[in-house]
Amino acid sequence: MVTADKLDELQLEPEVPELDLSWLNLDTEWGVNAEPGRKGLTLQQINKTLYGDIPATSEDSSARPRGAAPPEGATPRMTPWVLGEATETFSESAGLLYDEAVSRQWSSATDIPWDTLDELPEDIERAMAQLCTSLTEVEFIAGDVPGKWLPRIAADHFESGLFLMSQVMDEARHTDVFRKRALANGGGLLLQGGGGGLRQILEAEDFTQMSSMLHILGEGFVQSLFRLGELIAHNEAEKRIFRLAAQDESRHVAFGVTHLKYTLDNQPDKAEEVHWTLDMFENTIVDPDQANPGLAGALVYLLGDGDVDEGWRLFWHVRRKQVLEYLHRLDVAGLGGRLESGRLHPALVGALDEN
Amino acid sequence: MSENDVVAAAKERLEASGLPSDWLDTPVHWGVKAKEQATPENGGLRFEYLNVDVYGEVPEYWENNTEIPRGAIPDTRTEQMGYSIFNKSEVWSDLCAGLYEDAIADRWNSSADIPWESLEPIGSDLERAVCQIATLMSEYGWTKAQTTGRWLQEISYGYIEVKLFLGTVVFDAARLYEVWRKRALANGGGLGRGGRNWKFLPLTQSYTFSEFCVASIMHDAMLIALLRHGEQLAQTDAERTIYELCQQDIERHLAYFVDHMRYLMLKEPIRREEIHRYLNKAEWYLAKDGDDTLYSALAVVMGDGREGAEEAMADVAELRREQVETYLGYLRQCHLGDRDDRLNEELRKWAGMVELEEEEKIPV
Ligand SMILES: [Fe+2]
Ligand SMILES: [Fe+2]
Repeated sequence: MVTADKLDELQLEPEVPELDLSWLNLDTEWGVNAEPGRKGLTLQQINKTLYGDIPATSEDSSARPRGAAPPEGATPRMTPWVLGEATETFSESAGLLYDEAVSRQWSSATDIPWDTLDELPEDIERAMAQLCTSLTEVEFIAGDVPGKWLPRIAADHFESGLFLMSQVMDEARHTDVFRKRALANGGGLLLQGGGGGLRQILEAEDFTQMSSMLHILGEGFVQSLFRLGELIAHNEAEKRIFRLAAQDESRHVAFGVTHLKYTLDNQPDKAEEVHWTLDMFENTIVDPDQANPGLAGALVYLLGDGDVDEGWRLFWHVRRKQVLEYLHRLDVAGLGGRLESGRLHPALVGALDEN
Repeated sequence: MSENDVVAAAKERLEASGLPSDWLDTPVHWGVKAKEQATPENGGLRFEYLNVDVYGEVPEYWENNTEIPRGAIPDTRTEQMGYSIFNKSEVWSDLCAGLYEDAIADRWNSSADIPWESLEPIGSDLERAVCQIATLMSEYGWTKAQTTGRWLQEISYGYIEVKLFLGTVVFDAARLYEVWRKRALANGGGLGRGGRNWKFLPLTQSYTFSEFCVASIMHDAMLIALLRHGEQLAQTDAERTIYELCQQDIERHLAYFVDHMRYLMLKEPIRREEIHRYLNKAEWYLAKDGDDTLYSALAVVMGDGREGAEEAMADVAELRREQVETYLGYLRQCHLGDRDDRLNEELRKWAGMVELEEEEKIPV
């Protein structure tokens, strides 16, 4: 048997790799310079010359960075398929949104003033614990979805890939911060609240369909709610959680809106498919059978601070805002007219009624 | 009013207005107050501090195929979500929660945290070589993010800590991709030639998470050995910082992969031979890919231009030897020390290890 000592004795010179300098004479674009600006060196500043040209169709399913020369010799197919058409996954804001995500990361451990969580009456603590149970569950799926799509993004359209990678991180933090809130102040985790469209987002097999459900309608509603987090929160810690999470959700919503806009600008006949998806998804989220058994009750209870009638009034105030902002986002994306054409789900039309 | 009366009254009000109220008196593990540990000295409210009572019980086998938070009361109407990993041994490491928080505390920004202004014109050969290295770094970052991201939809909430940590791996990999792209496009250069990608197949093709983990250990170990030479390879402060920050991230990833594999080897020693098969595959692809552009570019950098490259090749060979040894070192940490004697023949040459006679091989 050979011992480790003996192996050391038997050590040979390492083999020397072959020197091949052919890559010194590539005809890739050369002479590119980028100057850091006010925010440093952002993706926008390096998106120059050929490196900034986004191919409408990418033939490349490898990991080769956009603008690099292809390798010599045979290369394998890395994944069964990637989405080569820019209309399938691209957004002109993706790079910017990624840059913003990187500069606005926060820590649920240190950026939330947890010491402001005072003892709450048991009914309120329970309601907040229930809301956070439902939210950590929703955020969990919101992180699975971009993960699922990552291997399908063409390296030539890397901006969308980077954005989705930042979303994975953001949703991890959201999953985490709502779990933290539930377990921080005596409450605990209460009832699971499955359904409500989570499965529909995960199972979608078309990126634009997925994105219009997740980013525009789902996260749009969540963002409108978080922006009204002041109405729900009972202390500075909770306010900060909603404020910081809303900031993240704004980026996710913006990605969805700008992606849909890019798609519809370049492929207008996709519109009907997206309408159809929204028909289905609106129906799912208002379907009483799909309703999360804890979420609505806890939300109403918190909004009214225990006064259920007042809670309902504020709930409809929130819902109205959610629907108005949703319709506005669709307008911006070039998919306006759902209300006017009678396509918006009646339950959401009803929410627009001020009374 | 006592607390019980408060809850009963609340239930009544909710029911009167047609709202579900079960959540109000659902049996709950009341009284967990993680905030009490959240002091600045403790790093704030870290995820580790949540693992108390039933919430910290991570089961060997997780039975629920929905996204139910660990410790919550199930709603049996919820659709199954298609998770495929229900065994703790397949993904677990006790380090995950801490590494997740560390990743967030160590976060950096390639736009603002790299002293880009320190870049200055270097010779054209050198710039080409740095850009060639940068191109391959980006390529690995992209692959790492895509292949890690793919596993998220497989892992259930039972092992939430693992998933949160993998989220940071995806995000770190995004930065590995873009910080090197920035370096290539910031200093009068451009991108070089892409790699052949054969060596990435063990990452993209893995059927089990542990297979993905060992392939990641191999790639990350090769990378970390290179990053540790940052001081020697960097031309400017900007590059020095890039090497340092990427190293810090990859060290965390390796800490998890290694600790997980150690856990798996302890829990399921029967899988040892299976894991060696994955390593056989990963090493074979790495050796066969034989992408010499990386080592040649390193030679130009170490030789300060193409004239010195030939001579610098001896140093490059030494670095490649270190890469293989680093890889074997990590495997030893996860109780896979028997790999030393089963290492791929090409990699043995890279490491300057003697080819053992069949009868000399240490019995497993
Ligand atoms: Fe979120
Ligand atoms: Fe989100």
